[in-house]
Amino acid sequence: MTTRAEFLGRVRTEMAKTRGLFSATPSPRPGHPREAAETVRRQLAERWPPALDRFRAEFERVAGVFHRVPSLVEVPALLARIAAVTGAREVVGWEAGALGWDLSAALTPLGLTVRSAPGGDGDAERLRHREEAARAPLGITGVDWALAETGTLIIASGPGRPRSTSLLPDTHVAVFGPGHLVESLEQVGLLLEAFHADGGAAVRGGTIAFITGPSRTADIELTLTRGVHGPKEVHAVFVDTLGGPA
Amino acid sequence: MSEKRGQVPFPERAGAALKDAYLQEALGIATTKFIDLRREAFEGFPQGDALRDRARSIKEATLQRLDHYLGLLADNVERLGGHVHWAGTGEEAREIVLRLCRDRGVKMAVKSKSMATEEIDLNEALEHAGVTPIETDLGEYIIQLAHEKPSHIIAPAIHKTKSQVAELFSKELKGRFAADPEVLTAVARKELRQKFLQADMGITGANFAVADTGTLVLVTNEGNGRMVTSLPRIHVAVMGMEKVIPSMIDLMVFLAILARSATGQKLSSYTTLVRGPRLPGELEGPEELHLILMDNGRVRQVAGPLREALYCLRCGACLNVCPVYRQIGGHAYGHTYPGPIGILLTAMLKGDRSVKELAHASSLCGACKDVCPVRIDIPRMLVELRDQLDRGRIAPWRERMVFRAARRGMQSPTLFRLGARMGRLLQRPFLHGGRLRRLPLFFGQWTATRDLPAVAAKTFSERWKDLGTP
Repeated sequence: MTTRAEFLGRVRTEMAKTRGLFSATPSPRPGHPREAAETVRRQLAERWPPALDRFRAEFERVAGVFHRVPSLVEVPALLARIAAVTGAREVVGWEAGALGWDLSAALTPLGLTVRSAPGGDGDAERLRHREEAARAPLGITGVDWALAETGTLIIASGPGRPRSTSLLPDTHVAVFGPGHLVESLEQVGLLLEAFHADGGAAVRGGTIAFITGPSRTADIELTLTRGVHGPKEVHAVFVDTLGGPA
Repeated sequence: MSEKRGQVPFPERAGAALKDAYLQEALGIATTKFIDLRREAFEGFPQGDALRDRARSIKEATLQRLDHYLGLLADNVERLGGHVHWAGTGEEAREIVLRLCRDRGVKMAVKSKSMATEEIDLNEALEHAGVTPIETDLGEYIIQLAHEKPSHIIAPAIHKTKSQVAELFSKELKGRFAADPEVLTAVARKELRQKFLQADMGITGANFAVADTGTLVLVTNEGNGRMVTSLPRIHVAVMGMEKVIPSMIDLMVFLAILARSATGQKLSSYTTLVRGPRLPGELEGPEELHLILMDNGRVRQVAGPLREALYCLRCGACLNVCPVYRQIGGHAYGHTYPGPIGILLTAMLKGDRSVKELAHASSLCGACKDVCPVRIDIPRMLVELRDQLDRGRIAPWRERMVFRAARRGMQSPTLFRLGARMGRLLQRPFLHGGRLRRLPLFFGQWTATRDLPAVAAKTFSERWKDLGTP
């Protein structure tokens, strides 16, 4: 088997033979990623309304369903309406700590059973939660960022925020507020630089998912079909008074 | 396997494709649709051209410090608890996957779409070792059930009708399913959902790998990339080593142009950034992550004539615009990677000799270079490849003889005049409406599918003389 030293040795041997095709540099990166990200956040705090309009337009263009409510108070009833349409009695959702509000407390009075990701990472919990997520018609999450340019929900996995919540149920609902809006991929790049700064101290999960509309395919006669593996429907619930990421 | 299909000579494969009426129609519709979607996507995106230049620059810059970035990527993946394997050849890459399957008692592996695993015929190897590989991209799943090969990088099953898919599903999955894409997609969803939940291993490629953070990036529309990296207990990524890029900032540049080039979307439905196995406290995700960095002919091109082909993002845009691909489709190329870029990638992976015919399956019109998101100069490399084949005496001897004679004739004014005079005389029996058709001997192969303009009554020099200019 080839070792790292052999492989990289071969690469170096070839590199030594050429200066390349033209003079080139990768993208410039911020010297201080956290400060750069802070600047982005400050700018966005002032100009989120147009970003929201753009997000809505792009999100609807990719077949997302957009809702807007003034405050968290209106959210449970809205979620219950969405659940009723999908026929859901059970929902899976992020744990209160990850979501910033208590889903279970909000929905249980409305007759819905909420299965939040249990604490801990043992095999028993893992299997139980996987079954719950595979069975539930509705998955409710927050987001890390909502990207206006493309109508994309960006969600990092971690404790209390399992990967499957936005993946296995037929319908995914993401709840977020003004502080989550981001205008461009370029800004996302800066935020990700900060997110991974200092060896990734802030990272608590293995994946970051960029979700742009429902799961789709056009593999049979180029006919666009939704919900091939992931959700058939994606809803965005924008709450005017919900706080941004910690 | 691709080798076996390659044994039928290319002209026969291409000929068969040209006679396949359904394929012709499907190719026409699909490629035209992709071209339109791509054009619309870039029309509404004024910064697109500048981003393409930047993307090209990032790829070149990465190659100029390739050892550094590969080392950094490996360090970061390992720091996060992943394992990095180095594969000099496709065989080694296969062996690494098989060993992992053996050691960990893997019975079933779910795969998201990966050209790198197609390239090394991983599915055949897995089956042979008693592991069931399940392709989960809908198009790939159809192809796998039908025991066929993909015909397009982005739409692997464009050569099949919905009726054929319905028939296939009905037979293989024991049921009666209507020839309706909606119904058939739902059937596949149900079938594959079980596989995702049962499989021990998820196998993917990688569209990009970010050296600075040790992140693997998977782009899919169906969500299967997320499934296979979230549910099975082991995740194995097989990646051509040229997919490494420096930073997250660079990644955003590529994301902005990749989906637009491939399907005209601003972003594909799912872009998944995978960084190591599941972390402590995280409920889901694989316990183990293995990254296989593969050479398989790539490294020697760092200083080779095909260096620029190492920029390729596998978006498929060059296939859709290629007048040859649009006529013959992916299968006729006979290898994993079809289309103009596929000829170069095949030469890279299997050597020049493997494309001695394919190197000519291009009109050198340059449409591929125009649409390439990283502006790869495919026509230049094809011409160089042809030259290489000629110098290596790999091209057919008759072809070399004819071209050598033509070169000699054009270098000497006397020979050129003589040739023109003889041509005018000899062409008479074969002239039809001012064009040469049906030439005798082996020249007939040329005129079987094309014609030539007749040799003119007078050469330019003769007409110049007639003008009597001083």
